[in-house]
Amino acid sequence: MSPTETERHHRFLRSFTAHEPAVRAHVRRLVPARADADDVMQEISVVLWEKFDSFRDGADFKAWAFGVARFEVLAWLRDRGRDRLVLDEEVITKIAEETTADEPRLEQQREALEHCMKKVPGDQRELLMQAYQPESRIHEVAQGSGRTVAGFYQWLHRMRKLLLECIRRALTQEVAS
Amino acid sequence: MSTKFIDAYLDGTITAPELQQLNALLLTDAKARREFAEILNVDSALAAMAAGWTKDEAPVVRQTKWRATTPRWMAAAASVALLLGGWWWQDSQSAFATVEKAAGVVEMADGSSLRGESHEIKAGSVALVTARGARIVIEAPAEFRFESAQRLHMKRGRLAADVPPAAKGFTVITPTGDAIDLGTRFGVDVPMSGAAEVHVFQGEVITKATGEKAKQSLRGGDAVTFDQGASTSRELRSSAFIQADEMSELTAGLAAGQRARAESALTNLKNDPALIALLDFESDEAQPGVFRRVQGRWPGSHAPEFVHVGDHLKLDVGGDRDWPQLTLAAWVRIDRLGAPYQSLLHTDGWSKNNPGQVHWMINRDTTMRLALIGNTLAPDANERDGHPDSRTAVLPEQGRWVHLATVYDSQTKTVRFYLNGQFDKETRQQVAHPARLGPAQIGNWNQQDRKLSGRVDELLLLGRAMSDNEIRALHAAGNPYR
Repeated sequence: MSPTETERHHRFLRSFTAHEPAVRAHVRRLVPARADADDVMQEISVVLWEKFDSFRDGADFKAWAFGVARFEVLAWLRDRGRDRLVLDEEVITKIAEETTADEPRLEQQREALEHCMKKVPGDQRELLMQAYQPESRIHEVAQGSGRTVAGFYQWLHRMRKLLLECIRRALTQEVAS
Repeated sequence: MSTKFIDAYLDGTITAPELQQLNALLLTDAKARREFAEILNVDSALAAMAAGWTKDEAPVVRQTKWRATTPRWMAAAASVALLLGGWWWQDSQSAFATVEKAAGVVEMADGSSLRGESHEIKAGSVALVTARGARIVIEAPAEFRFESAQRLHMKRGRLAADVPPAAKGFTVITPTGDAIDLGTRFGVDVPMSGAAEVHVFQGEVITKATGEKAKQSLRGGDAVTFDQGASTSRELRSSAFIQADEMSELTAGLAAGQRARAESALTNLKNDPALIALLDFESDEAQPGVFRRVQGRWPGSHAPEFVHVGDHLKLDVGGDRDWPQLTLAAWVRIDRLGAPYQSLLHTDGWSKNNPGQVHWMINRDTTMRLALIGNTLAPDANERDGHPDSRTAVLPEQGRWVHLATVYDSQTKTVRFYLNGQFDKETRQQVAHPARLGPAQIGNWNQQDRKLSGRVDELLLLGRAMSDNEIRALHAAGNPYR
């Protein structure tokens, strides 16, 4: 590999690794399931690398990546969303635009999750992490927790809501202090 | 009311009519869109956290109520995030890996926990166990960081991984490509400059060069180089990687003070009046040739490594005279077996007009050979190939540092071979010219031939015949293992 090529790789990787979590979260907000986000992310990383030449040094990598991500999500929805229950393109576009603008706050929310997770009792926290394992089967996790599948989903909804409330509270206090 | 649909959407249980309602709601209601985005944002953060989560993490202190927060934690979280270079989600309570053994590594101690922070080790090797039980040995110089118990970023350095089924999916990310394990043993080499390599010793590994669309499946015996966004297959270098079992013996050697013994032995050798050359590769002066400068037998010591065809180190010594007696010795770490001849030292010339020129090598059957041009075997010599060869194979299947020595005496007309300090075999010569040295190559002969694959450390050329006892002592003093 030529030195310039290696340097280009390095520049790309530095930016990509720094912003990958944000891009992944952005994609997650636009597709129905986490597994879909993984699929689309693979595509996006390839496209970002291929188009990296057109990325101007000093420009906002994250904003650029969000733009690429939105395009890839829409392409994915058109391709594979046909047999799935996906949101309207118009809705997706709106959410993509609004959340791009709102990303600094959303990032703070994601950061605050760690703090809020510490308030969750250990066994529940473990259950939550089990449910979110990349290849977890919900009915098995539900069974292990002694709940019905429907009951487990209810519990998951409640946990997400509690966490979101904790996060909002934490961020409000931060602003107030 | 909107959350009901959002929850159903997230669970994948939403019905078509419900989705229609959700669409209508989200299209018109900005507040609902915001709620929707926030819930999904939490969902994605939970998934990221779960990716780095392991069952056997430190027990979490139970808290019975959800307390109001103080703003201080935000500053703490921010500094942690800074420390982790943006890997904000990782749980600061759980370790991704634990240091099992640090041999000659000053930056890490046995038993310390590795989380998401970056590590740089300048010398030595370190054996780690991830939270899911994968055993990793990393050799310096190296820079790396765990993203989770299952994802390791290697900026540079050399790594051998032994991955049990529980850690299946363990992924090594290099600047030029990734390797995803499928329950196996493999090695990753990220050199100071140039492309990363993946070597599969056993099982199956999926690789993908950065920017490459398709993934590749590698099986035991396969290896690739990530080069300019593509995976190019290359020959396996199984012994280029220090593995867990070797680590414990290296650590024991260090603990027993072997390094100091080796250094004092070197000092004695340097004062030997018959010394022609002693290469310990510690000088900062650039040695002529094409090779990688990597770690030698000791933490932070250096050795040339020959990787590609044609890699070599030039040496021009002792050419002004004849050497009736000559001892050749070196510590070597051969990466692979079976290549046709590997050059330990080849004089550039090999001409009947200049009898006595020396070719010292490892044969394709892994025996050692010392050939001097113009020499002939004694009538009773039992040799397959017309040259003196050692009896025992030079290397066990598992690569390690081994000590090779050959003592030539044109007066007694003998060639004597030693492996790891042990006498192996003597071959008698009928015609025995004094040895001639001069311009020579280590690791290669004339550019593209007799490629040595591996490292050479402490190469000794001595203008006298060492005794059995001296060779035994030479090995014992320089042996990095215990």
